[in-house]
Amino acid sequence: MVPDPPEDDRPNPWGRSDEAEVAPAAPTDRHVVTVAGDDAPAAEQFNCPNCGGTIEVKAAGYTVSIACQYCGSVLDISNADVRIVARYEEEVRKLELPLGSRGTLRGIEWEVIGYLRRSENAAYPWDEYLLFNPYHGYRFLDTDGRGWSLGRQLTVAPQSLAMAGFTVEGEFYEPFYAQTRAQVDYVLGEFYWQVAVGEEALTADYVRPGKMLSWESNAREVEWTLSELLEPNEMTDAFGIDPPRGGGLPLPHQPSPYREKAGKMLKLALVAAAAIILVTFLFGGTSDPQTTTIRLATNGVEQEAKIGPIELTRPRQAVTVSARAPGIDNAWVDLAYLLVERNSGIVYEASNVVEHYSGYDGEGNWSEGSDGSSSKFSMVPAGTYDLMVEAAGSQWLEGQYAPSNGADVEVTIAKGATFFSNLIFALLLVMAPALWVWFKHLNFESRRKSDSDFGGGDDDDDDDDD
Amino acid sequence: MQSENCPNCGAEIFFRSPALPAVICDYCNSTVKRIGKALEKIGEVAALPFDVSPIQRGTAGTYDGLNFEVIGRIRLGYDQGSWNDWLCLFSDMSHGWLSESDGQFQMVVEAPIDQVAGDAVQQWAAGGDPEVGERVEINGESFVVTEARWAKCIAAEGELPFAATTGWDVFNVDMRNADGFAANFEREEDGPGLYVGRYLTLDELSPRNLRPIHGWAMPDYGA
Amino acid sequence: MNRGFFLFGIWCLIVTAGFAYASFAGYSPFADGARSTAARGPGGIIILPGGRGARDARHK
Repeated sequence: MVPDPPEDDRPNPWGRSDEAEVAPAAPTDRHVVTVAGDDAPAAEQFNCPNCGGTIEVKAAGYTVSIACQYCGSVLDISNADVRIVARYEEEVRKLELPLGSRGTLRGIEWEVIGYLRRSENAAYPWDEYLLFNPYHGYRFLDTDGRGWSLGRQLTVAPQSLAMAGFTVEGEFYEPFYAQTRAQVDYVLGEFYWQVAVGEEALTADYVRPGKMLSWESNAREVEWTLSELLEPNEMTDAFGIDPPRGGGLPLPHQPSPYREKAGKMLKLALVAAAAIILVTFLFGGTSDPQTTTIRLATNGVEQEAKIGPIELTRPRQAVTVSARAPGIDNAWVDLAYLLVERNSGIVYEASNVVEHYSGYDGEGNWSEGSDGSSSKFSMVPAGTYDLMVEAAGSQWLEGQYAPSNGADVEVTIAKGATFFSNLIFALLLVMAPALWVWFKHLNFESRRKSDSDFGGGDDDDDDDDD
Repeated sequence: MQSENCPNCGAEIFFRSPALPAVICDYCNSTVKRIGKALEKIGEVAALPFDVSPIQRGTAGTYDGLNFEVIGRIRLGYDQGSWNDWLCLFSDMSHGWLSESDGQFQMVVEAPIDQVAGDAVQQWAAGGDPEVGERVEINGESFVVTEARWAKCIAAEGELPFAATTGWDVFNVDMRNADGFAANFEREEDGPGLYVGRYLTLDELSPRNLRPIHGWAMPDYGA
Repeated sequence: MNRGFFLFGIWCLIVTAGFAYASFAGYSPFADGARSTAARGPGGIIILPGGRGARDARHK
């Protein structure tokens, strides 16, 4: 139950409110709020020496300073007397999460007892709320507008891994924000340390998906805090806070929504790719070759040859016709194939060329082409076939066309084929969706890391991180 | 358990162990010390300030397999606040301290300082000053200094191994390491002392008879 | 396992099965040879499209 704020015409025995000196402790009527029954009391109460408002202390025994929720003045209550540390007469800010709110987060009930607004030299502000439960101690709730994180101070000292980061409880945290000066801009409520507006500290942050490890050093001590990113509904369920608006950069410790999905898809795609490659080995390749050799006419006239019979037994199969002209150079052989079924008259045709050229120019020796080529027939039905081959040779002699030099070309027909184009096409089909999601993951991580002081984005990084 | 009468006000006071010769009378706040068979009022302590600690005298628990009961406390204050050191009597009649500060707990037991390996500790015992953030070695383990401060006894209650009186000063050094082990070095009038143990959460002590606090649900393990 | 992953699994299955069938039946959209509109006419003569003239299938 929040007490009423004081009336406007309250007496102000301390004179003008802009006097800076620390006033002597005023009679504050500091007393324990008694309760009925056997339970120990939960709070003590006193009147603000500046404005007279009634202040409740919820973490009595731990709290050393408290900023009055009515006038904002900072009071030192570490001793029995209440001392004014800094006097304010401002309109107290309305908080997104009001002091005194209670809510259950991750199974434990917490009361909001303190609030700090901090910033990096007045830029990039963030809110810190202090949560308390006498049986569970303290937690921090931090937000910079993009999401809420629940943090606790560590009692272990994280282990450093050279300059690469820190390990806590077996988990590794990589650097995200380098040491920066943080200052306190506004305080409200109670704290277990002496707070002051303007107080400075050095902070540095390390992250892993979903968690942030924060280092802080001020004049008195060094602290480590470990925070976990909360789901938006956790804050709504606990305190009725609206989820933050979307958009903007991902938080430093925001886990990529694509990581797990991309990983699973890539694994599945690799399994499919392995199966596809296996099928290629099982069903690819050729068998039962039959060969004929054609001597090319020196007058360039097409020579003909026939290979057959070729018995194709499967309902459908591929057929590979390959040609070889060993030693061919600066010449080519035009080939035409007709695959004719003896009984039905079905004809399959293809044409190809075997060519090879070489020479010497300003950059040295060059060569192009090869001494063989192959043509593949797809889904040829069962039957008895003959292959009719027509071959004609030409050469390039001293800068102009010339008839062939009478070389031999060897033509082989075999059953089956290895369609590498099929293989590539199938592999692309299975890998593409997985790679697409992986790409979205990389894009997310790039956006997330763009705010990092370490190796993020394409901008220049500072080399020196102290 | 031995029952006696407070030499100051006559109220009943209890002594459970010869190693714990001091008792704070609950009624008159006198510090009573047992010297041989005689009881003597050594001084006084101030009344305990109000706090919402979940621990109370009578809270029981288990640490490293040994059961204990909380039978005393001293409250120490320094310029940044104050904390409680709860005296725990173990079932083997040894004792340890459950130090409670800002909602964090550590249980430490005294280690004889002359048997401890570590240059830093010996230096501090001789009067040297530690630095916050300094890395030191104690018995081969690496610790980092997290606090080094002068503190004063503000108040006390129950049974204690020494006669605490308000205003008694101690120089206290807190250390911790990567695995959660804790060490405290203390330097006071009587001499230096070293305590080793570890940080833990309340549930790790399997506590019973925690202090019920109005408006807060007692955790399942604490009743 | 969510719906998107399940659909991707079906996709991989379809592609792999399709590829296996194509490998077994020798199918490829990238093949060189094609069914010709030529036909083998009476007497073993192959009639090719485009009027290239008859050829004796039994030549040589």
